[in-house]
Amino acid sequence: MVKTLIKLEVLKRIRGTSFARSLAIGILMLFLGVLLLGYLFLFGLFMNRLVTDVLEKPDAIIFINSNLLYFFLLELIYRYFIQQLPVINLENYLHLPIPKSGIIHSLLVCSFLSPLNIVALLIFGPFAFVEVMVVYGIAPAMVWLGAILLTSWSMHWFVLWFKQRFEDSLIGTLVVFSALLISIGSNYFGVYDLGGFFEPVFTFALENPAPIVLLAIVFILSYFLCFAFYRQNAYLEELAEGEHLQFANQDLGFLSKFGLAGEMANLEWKLIIRHKKSRTYLMLCLFFLLYGLIFYTNPAYRVETGFSYLFIFVGTFITGIFMLQYGQLFLSWNSPTFDFYTHQKNGLRALVRGKYLLFSGISFACFILSVPYVYFGWNVLFIHLATFLFNMGVTIHLVIYLALWKPKPMNLNKGSVFNYEGMGLSQFLMIIPLVAVPYVVFLPVAYWFGDYFGLLALSIIGAFGLLVFPKISTKMADVVVDKKYEISAAFRQEL
Amino acid sequence: MIKIKDLKKIYGSTTVLNIPELTIPKSQCIGLVGNNGAGKTTLFRIMLDLVRATEGFVSIDEEEVNKGEQWKTKVGAYLDENMLLSYLSPEEYFRALIKIYRLSEEDLQLHLAKFADFFNGEILGSKKYIRDLSKGNIKKVGIAAALLGKPEAVLLDEPFENLDPSSQIRLKKLILKEKEENLVTFLISSHDLNHVTEICERIVLLEKGVIVRDLEDKSLMTEELNNYFNVS
Repeated sequence: MVKTLIKLEVLKRIRGTSFARSLAIGILMLFLGVLLLGYLFLFGLFMNRLVTDVLEKPDAIIFINSNLLYFFLLELIYRYFIQQLPVINLENYLHLPIPKSGIIHSLLVCSFLSPLNIVALLIFGPFAFVEVMVVYGIAPAMVWLGAILLTSWSMHWFVLWFKQRFEDSLIGTLVVFSALLISIGSNYFGVYDLGGFFEPVFTFALENPAPIVLLAIVFILSYFLCFAFYRQNAYLEELAEGEHLQFANQDLGFLSKFGLAGEMANLEWKLIIRHKKSRTYLMLCLFFLLYGLIFYTNPAYRVETGFSYLFIFVGTFITGIFMLQYGQLFLSWNSPTFDFYTHQKNGLRALVRGKYLLFSGISFACFILSVPYVYFGWNVLFIHLATFLFNMGVTIHLVIYLALWKPKPMNLNKGSVFNYEGMGLSQFLMIIPLVAVPYVVFLPVAYWFGDYFGLLALSIIGAFGLLVFPKISTKMADVVVDKKYEISAAFRQEL
Repeated sequence: MIKIKDLKKIYGSTTVLNIPELTIPKSQCIGLVGNNGAGKTTLFRIMLDLVRATEGFVSIDEEEVNKGEQWKTKVGAYLDENMLLSYLSPEEYFRALIKIYRLSEEDLQLHLAKFADFFNGEILGSKKYIRDLSKGNIKKVGIAAALLGKPEAVLLDEPFENLDPSSQIRLKKLILKEKEENLVTFLISSHDLNHVTEICERIVLLEKGVIVRDLEDKSLMTEELNNYFNVS
């Protein structure tokens, strides 16, 4: 039974519009993925030398063991953001005489086939052979590697459970955020040496096979934790769940001043606050406002003159996170109602302009909210201003341009359970060029003329971008109008 | 009012629509019938410029639909739920529409008053988003929205489907009234032969994308259609 379901899932993926339409992009992604995994493998291969030669630690194994915890914390975080459940359409199966447990088992097994699950193997596999095996022999090396893999894989189930259990709630984001804080905080401040505390666990695995048995039990238990939760919640939640209108009834009245585009922005705002997925994005935006606290207070980033270049990145994120995240799925948000916009006179243009309006508005709000950071020095304010201008003038167009590359449909009306459509590794990789662009401008100028001139360059280019804003936004609207047949066909899932 | 010329839609190697010529004069009510896969919805989508025609064109008041946008103010349509903003409540949706159409609140109230019976008290005032309404009620919202803004032509895909019998009768009355009072052109697809023959003065029968009958004689319609659809 599980086998049939997996086969159906594979068929579904192959026949999905996004797969067939974007073969070229698929290949590019595959290439990038393989490249990334290859780097990880190389990193694993040379890790022992990196530790002993570059970091000048006497014993690579002890060092690695005491830092494994940080790796796992990091893994927890990237899993939380990247990992997705293969969405088997529950509705298609629930009414059939298939045991629910069968559906859930196949769902979970499918999810396990993910590149994320070989990351640990790629990094620590070579290390186990090159270093651990040489020092301790083959059996301990295997046990050690096994312990790491089982921990990593237990985390897979744990994250699946966690994401589903706390998704969109404040707790979920809080836990992930505090995990981030703990890992970074403990690393830099050295207040609590968590890593050292956990070091004996993996050192023990070198001497005794007991941990692997224990971790295997944890692995199995976490699978069943996950399974039990999904099994219990395998209902069409959205049927029972009726959201209350009163909750999300706020109009952004002032937007109406901007005409049709303002009206579209207003509708978009309602769309955002009435769907769980988009609400999460908005909330993330608030959390990223606090992001600066990690960096600006950190003595590691104090420099004699000017400021740490990392702050450009921080500023870009604080003032533009909503745009970066929400914008990646630019039109996908409207996929269920795309025909509505197409059918209105000038509807698509107004939609694009409305989105621009909304992005600028929210970015501006973030910028204003981030003003108190001036407490950490005037340069923080300057950085935020420069990155804000740059975001408005340049990044915003880039985000939208990249997002128009391959809009995927997304079902917003589906309950939040089993709904991770539209998001994936590709959306995540898209952010890399976006974050790199400010540096392309900043670094050369800062190098030749000084840090503040770098900021000035960012601001000037951003301001210039703002000047030609109407022109570029019209161009983007043109792109949407030109591609409307393809986009609406993709959204209707037809070829 | 609406003119279709040499229209073809080809997916791969199959021609799903092939209409050499079809002219719809003003204030005519046309029924579009045909079995599944006849190309009714595709025709609607091409007429609304949601799907690109492979060849030929559709023009509304001499304006080709894929070239201009002026026609959009003259044509109302409801094909499926994609044309609604289902995350709004019906009232909010209508409010959003009047802003787009630049109508006043009074216009909206007048318009909705026409639908009071049709809505049967279940649409307005309920604290539900459109997505949480029943299929029939979603359809009612879509139809009322399609008729908003004094359109000169209205395209409806399967308007009777999912509606209860009383609502079906009310809808027929509404359509006839709009046609008489405001000279609205209607293009209605349906599988319910009784309804379309009752309200339409012309029936176009599609088969695999080709118009096989174009009936304008009301007295022969029923018989012709029964002959065509009768399977033994």
